[in-house]
Amino acid sequence: MDVSSLPISASQRGKLISAGYASLSSISSLSPSRLALDLKISENEAVEILKVASGRSGGQDKIESGSCAIVNGAQTAWDMLHEEEYSKCITTSCSNLDEILGGGIHCKEVTEIGGVPGIGKTQLGIQLAVNVQIPADYGGLGGKAVYIDTEGSFMVERVLQIAEACAQDMLEYNALLQRDSQACLVDTQPKSFLDNIFYFRVCTYTEQIAVINYLEKFLSEHTDVKVVIVDSITFHFRQDFEDMALRTRLLSGMALKLMKLAKKFNLAVVLLNQVTTKFKEGSFQLTLALGDSWAHAATNRIILYWNGNERHAFIDKSPSLPSASSPYTVTGRGIRNSTSNCKRVKLM
Amino acid sequence: MAPLEDLERDYPIIDSNFRMFCASHGIFTDTDFLLHDLSALEAFARQDYAPDKLEQGIKQMISIIESGQRPWLNGVELLEDSQLNKCTLSTGCEGIDILLQGGLREGHVTELVGPSCSGKTQICLKSASHVARNSLGKVVYFDTGNSFSPKRVAQFLSLLSDPSATQTNKAVERDMSSIVCHSVFDIFTLLDMLRQLMNNLRSQISFQVRMLIIDSLSSLIAPVLGGGGAHGHALMATAGFLLKEIAHESNLCVVVTNHMVAGEAGMLKPALGESWKSIPHVRLLLSGKYSATGTRITILKHPYLVCPSQKKLLMSILQYWHPLRMKASGKSADFVVL
Repeated sequence: MDVSSLPISASQRGKLISAGYASLSSISSLSPSRLALDLKISENEAVEILKVASGRSGGQDKIESGSCAIVNGAQTAWDMLHEEEYSKCITTSCSNLDEILGGGIHCKEVTEIGGVPGIGKTQLGIQLAVNVQIPADYGGLGGKAVYIDTEGSFMVERVLQIAEACAQDMLEYNALLQRDSQACLVDTQPKSFLDNIFYFRVCTYTEQIAVINYLEKFLSEHTDVKVVIVDSITFHFRQDFEDMALRTRLLSGMALKLMKLAKKFNLAVVLLNQVTTKFKEGSFQLTLALGDSWAHAATNRIILYWNGNERHAFIDKSPSLPSASSPYTVTGRGIRNSTSNCKRVKLM
Repeated sequence: MAPLEDLERDYPIIDSNFRMFCASHGIFTDTDFLLHDLSALEAFARQDYAPDKLEQGIKQMISIIESGQRPWLNGVELLEDSQLNKCTLSTGCEGIDILLQGGLREGHVTELVGPSCSGKTQICLKSASHVARNSLGKVVYFDTGNSFSPKRVAQFLSLLSDPSATQTNKAVERDMSSIVCHSVFDIFTLLDMLRQLMNNLRSQISFQVRMLIIDSLSSLIAPVLGGGGAHGHALMATAGFLLKEIAHESNLCVVVTNHMVAGEAGMLKPALGESWKSIPHVRLLLSGKYSATGTRITILKHPYLVCPSQKKLLMSILQYWHPLRMKASGKSADFVVL
């Protein structure tokens, strides 16, 4: 009911309050020309303000129709459970990793993957960008990918390599099931995989925020995009940021926008993060970068680490999965299951 | 505060004559009316050529203003209201229920503060499923981080129900249909939804909402807080007061989660700052990662329970297949919930 809770700019708000309009009811019955005269703004601006205000006060009316929605647009948990059962995950091509993830990377969720340099974050990102394109006949989503590169680590030759391996795997699968080749036409040209990855290169943090703001429009035009990968989300926010409070605000705003995109367009958002050291309980520990407030921004968090000579992934945060870890390797064909080098069975 | 012209629509006695009379005394809005000396105004009205209409107008204005106020209550009425209408809802975690002497109280805004991965969302999901199962009411869940997991709720519900009952699936369906979830991604939408909820609860009594969970409120406020303006703080305070009003009027239990930020000397402190501290009725601090050994819950603030440092509780959720059970160990002040 208060003008201060309208999403308008600070200067417009200031003008409204100094002209005496402090509540929504006082401006709801005004005409745009009257408002423009009172506030000394253009009539277009006045129309905008009144549109926002009427959008808000529309909710004040009682629900006359028989719909018993407590809150408009809400869903019951039962409906959501059924929706979840039918949704597919993006496989990571490593069955151990898929197992601990409950099938793969889930849609409608923001997953943050962090690790030390060289552990395979970009490789995992590229693998997901290729795997999202696996057609529905082979258990994939058959969608496209958006790859936002902040570090410049996206190598097209590597994507081609992984795409070739994926196409080969699909052909083998085809042969194994002896499917009729006409029934499932799969475009096994690796180059077609490249066609379906939309690549954005950003060089500053303002560009990064601008791309994420633009994504809403982009995704409503390209509705078959099923994964958005940001590699990495930290790079531009770590150096030369003097105002930490501003950084927190920008990051939390960005996190909310990404959550909204994930939910609205039913896609998976994967954020790759770097690590930093933190002095905690008397020792230096490795934690993900961007601080404590960013830790709450993602729905799921996976930490990649070295265990001896093997790469492992650990589920750090998830609303429905238990904490678990699994090994994986990075091969010439992409991310795969790790095979132990040891021929003898180790007695534990 | 509305200008007087707007009031003419609903109260025709506030006609142009009356408004001209008020304007001659510098009164243009109802705020001006309140600030003016009413007895002097009435004296002027009596000297006017149409005294009755003006006096009626003044009386109407006074009644309009008074109807916008809340009625006075005395202590006995408040106590009766608290005993009859505001019961305690069990959270499903025995440890918390014992710590809070019964559970979460209707009419209170309870805040769960904790670092990342300390179990806040898990407690919210567990309480939602428990309230949906045991009370005859609905749970409204506002989710800001897409972390409402229906799978997890179904797990909690199937663990709660009697294994011998044949109607398990139907019971789970009925309970899950009483949990209503909505995703909210900015503070303005949240304020809208809360007002809509308040209006709906006032007008239609059949809804029977028992619990409102917002997970997490701090991620909605963080983008607007700070930055040199007080607007963020104003929005936070508005949200807080709206939640308290909903909790008191509609006898709901409101649960809100908050995260932690770095404070002095490397210690963590709750986010949202000093001005938020006074807004929730009950503040519970969860510390440490949840694990097999348990998480500590401490009461930071409570209206009537004492919060000494000894009254800590070890509590653990999780273990995927194990329900929340409790085991007493040693002295009475320490409980380990497995």
